[in-house]
This record gives sequence, structure tokens and C-alpha cells, in this order.
Amino acid sequence: MTLLQKRALYSFIIGLVLTVGVVIAMLSQGDIANFDSDSGQRFLLYLVMVGVPLTYLILMNLTLRKPTQMDERDRRVIERSSRVQWLAVVFTLVAWTIGLTEAYHGQDGVPVAFLNLIFASVLVVSGLAGSLGILFGYGRMD
Amino acid sequence: VGRVGNRIRRLRFDNGEITQEELAKRAGCTRQTIIALEQERYVPSIELAFRIAGAFGVPLEEVFQYEAD
Repeated sequence: MTLLQKRALYSFIIGLVLTVGVVIAMLSQGDIANFDSDSGQRFLLYLVMVGVPLTYLILMNLTLRKPTQMDERDRRVIERSSRVQWLAVVFTLVAWTIGLTEAYHGQDGVPVAFLNLIFASVLVVSGLAGSLGILFGYGRMD
Repeated sequence: VGRVGNRIRRLRFDNGEITQEELAKRAGCTRQTIIALEQERYVPSIELAFRIAGAFGVPLEEVFQYEAD
């Protein structure tokens, strides 16, 4: 396993744990319809949006402080993983678009809470897809 | 599409059994890349190919060969 793969594995595990934690915290807050009236729910979401990336960065720096030696093969894998990330983000947005259109078509609009959820989900998917892209990107390259 | 083969493992043996780590250090890449090259799971850039040949002190074609289909 290369240093880059190890880093991606740690990143994936930390990202997954944080995501599960966030989902549990959100579900415990109840119905999304309360988002407009419940300032506590809104505050929690803002906290998550700032806190999760910060926690992620701190944990990554604490676990992987050593500089990673990278060569051309690693850089090629990173390029590949960014394509995986891009595709994952596009499909996430497509899923949100279709889902929200089907759920709210014919109405004035969608609850504003979804703006935050779309942003948070894209952030999560992008991070996880990037890690997976690196983990599986070292296949045959010729 | 052809296939790029190499004699890195053989050349390491012929050069006093230098380690993959040592060769990686000389060629400026990681040991994992040397492993991938020896297993022919990776085809290097022309620059890295020259650096590996230089590490052995031999011409490029003594290390890498191209076989057309």
C-alpha cells in the first residue's frame, strides 16, 4: 500500500465516521419542515457545515503529519481520483434535482433547508469519492 | 496497441542485487512504483524511464523494450 493510499484510507474512515455522526445528529432533530421555525436546528446545521471540514482537517493533520513522498504514478492516480470526484458530485446533484423536482413539482418552491443539505452532501460525497478514487486508482496503468 | 516490457528485476540482480528502495532513491520515485514496474502493472513516463536507465548506467533500450502486437 502506498503512502497516498494509506492517507486515502484514513481519510475515508474519518470521513465516513463524521458522516454517520452528522446523519444521526440530523435525524435526532426531527422533521425537516421545522427547519424554518427551529433556530436550534438551523444552528446545528451551520455548526456541522463549519465544524466537520475543520475536524476532518485537524484529524488528518494529526494522523498524517509526515510529508508524503509522491512520484509521477501517485500524481496520475490523484488526477484519476479527481475525475471520480467530479462524477460523484454530478450524480449527487442529479439525484437531488430529480428527487426534489418529483417531491415538490407544482409547488412554489422547495424548503430552504435543502440548500444546506445539498451543500453538505456534495461536500461529503466529494471527499469520500476522492478517497475511493485513490484507493482503487492504483490498478493497471498503461 | 503494443506492450512495454522491462528488465529492471534482472538489472537489479546484475548490479549487486540492489534493493527496490535503493533503485527508487536513485531514480527519484517510490518503491511502490518500482514494484509496479517490475510486475509490469505500470508504464513510466519517458523521463522516469531515462532516470531508471541512468541509475543502472545503461542505455534506455537495455531496460525497456516495446513489443508491437
